[in-house]
Amino acid sequence: MREYIARRIIYSLFTLFAVATILFVMFRMMPGDPTAQVISPALDEASQRRLKAAFGLDQPMWVQYFIYLKNLITLDWGRSFTSSERVFDILMYRLWNTLLLMVAGMFLTLAVGVNLGMIMGWKRGGKLDVGSTVTAMVFQSAPPFITGILLLIVLSYRLDLLPTGGMSSPGVRVTGVIGFIFTQDFLHHLVLPTITVTAYYLATPMLIMRDSMLEVLGSDFIEFAKAKGLAPRVVMVRHAARNALLAVVTVSSILLGFAIGGQVIVETVFSWPGMGLMMVESASSHDYPVAQASFMLLAAIVIISNLLADISYCYLDPRIKIGAQGT
Amino acid sequence: MTVEQTHAVAEAETGIGRLWRGLRHVAASQYRIINSNGLGRIGAVIVLFFAVIAILAPLIAPHDPWESLRDSAGKIASMRPPSLDFPMGTTFLARDILSQMIWATQTTMLIGLVSGLISILLGANIGLYAGYYGGKVDEVLMRFTDIIYGMPFLPFIIVLIALFGRSKWFVMLAIVLIVWRTSARVVRAQTMALKQRQFVTAARARGCGDLRIIYRHIMPNIAPLLLLYTAFNIAWSVIAEAGASFLGFGDPDQLSWGGMLYEMWISGQSRTAWWWFSAPSIAIVLLVSALVFVSRAYEEVANPRLRQR
Repeated sequence: MREYIARRIIYSLFTLFAVATILFVMFRMMPGDPTAQVISPALDEASQRRLKAAFGLDQPMWVQYFIYLKNLITLDWGRSFTSSERVFDILMYRLWNTLLLMVAGMFLTLAVGVNLGMIMGWKRGGKLDVGSTVTAMVFQSAPPFITGILLLIVLSYRLDLLPTGGMSSPGVRVTGVIGFIFTQDFLHHLVLPTITVTAYYLATPMLIMRDSMLEVLGSDFIEFAKAKGLAPRVVMVRHAARNALLAVVTVSSILLGFAIGGQVIVETVFSWPGMGLMMVESASSHDYPVAQASFMLLAAIVIISNLLADISYCYLDPRIKIGAQGT
Repeated sequence: MTVEQTHAVAEAETGIGRLWRGLRHVAASQYRIINSNGLGRIGAVIVLFFAVIAILAPLIAPHDPWESLRDSAGKIASMRPPSLDFPMGTTFLARDILSQMIWATQTTMLIGLVSGLISILLGANIGLYAGYYGGKVDEVLMRFTDIIYGMPFLPFIIVLIALFGRSKWFVMLAIVLIVWRTSARVVRAQTMALKQRQFVTAARARGCGDLRIIYRHIMPNIAPLLLLYTAFNIAWSVIAEAGASFLGFGDPDQLSWGGMLYEMWISGQSRTAWWWFSAPSIAIVLLVSALVFVSRAYEEVANPRLRQR
């Protein structure tokens, strides 16, 4: 098992490296002057030349590639064209905001999805089963900006229950990260984005849980547990759901990978100051150093979550032996 | 039709007649699959409805979608709610939303269909080769697929568009480059299971080449799976295009549903203009759910265990 995990980690590092390389190639293939991506065209001639030498843009392509990799690893990601701040400083603050929203969204999605899916599978064909399937499929078909704007129109504009966006109200004083997270104001701002994320991603874990419950419920050990006279609730939760959970863990990797796209949209709709919004803003204003670094960080989140899912899968299913082919 | 029968038909005839019979057989079985499933039938009708609108767009759009219109009194008809003159209302710039919707249908359907089909072609081939050959080929192709799985989808489209310009061709390219990954993994798994089966061994014993086995013996057996993922890929392409357009990375010369919502959003009229929000939103949800319903119909064929449920 240790070997399996080690190999997964190496694969992940390789993937990260490959994504960085693809990004490099994309930026160099861009039509126009390649220097425009790392040096602000707003600077004067002399500063541009100095920066060109610093970034190695007067050197051959492969040297540039190594400089690019070195800068990436040493977290030297340049300065923003628009604010001249260090890209690293901007993004670290943004990264936490994104992770907060992502974790909240994923937690709610999995909690609701697993529990609903469990009951749906247990009472197959019931009202809850059919109703939840259709509702979840409709919300899955609605990109998060539709759900998000709809929630805004109903809950914020009409009923004035929840704030329209941002992470905190103007004028609210913040002391420390932990203190901030548990303020009522922040949680208030977190509600709508979290519901939006959940509505979009709920269908996958819920339906997988349901289908895998059905599969497990057909097996002999469930009949045996029932025959032993255990309470139906115990059979459902302790025996069936536990085994069915495995399939949910497997898809959650794919789900997390996809969640990034939804994250970008949700952050934009609710002006949540995270990486996704940063990515959109920097790409539209052609602030290339920020766009490049945001993309790499988002890719890193995807790759790390894929890795975590692989590893947790390995712990949950002992049938995966050393050297077994993982997909 | 069993595997043996499929092969008997495939091997008995030659030329145009076989192609024609094959096409007719495919069309008839598609009709049967979709028609046998209630939701699938509804989905197919909705998709066809949008397809007809897309084709007829130049004929049925009542106004020029880009023109700022005036009402009968000669005033600029900005932000009008639905009325007899403007059945779906007008935008901030006094453009007719119904006409915009009709033209946008064309863009969305085109981008969805083209990128959906190209991506299934790509994904299916990569999956077939990886699954059939195994070993080094599999290793290389699957590591490549892993890399694509490391790409965040929407950010990839955004970066590509930001670098190369806002054009529908780059939107399609970006979608195709990502969407194939899921179909490749699924097709690979299915191919690996099928190649152990006796009919493959029999075909090889008869002297069939690898390519013939892949395309004539294995591929027909995963046809329902391929159709399922074709529907999925089209749905994903539609969602991705809508998302990219909503974020302002769509083709500025093409109307699309996501692009209309972007216009609505940046004009700051989302508080009042419910009609401007609902028309494109309902269209997106309808088309994507319709595609999902169609794919569910194929899923029951691809995965017979689901049928009894």
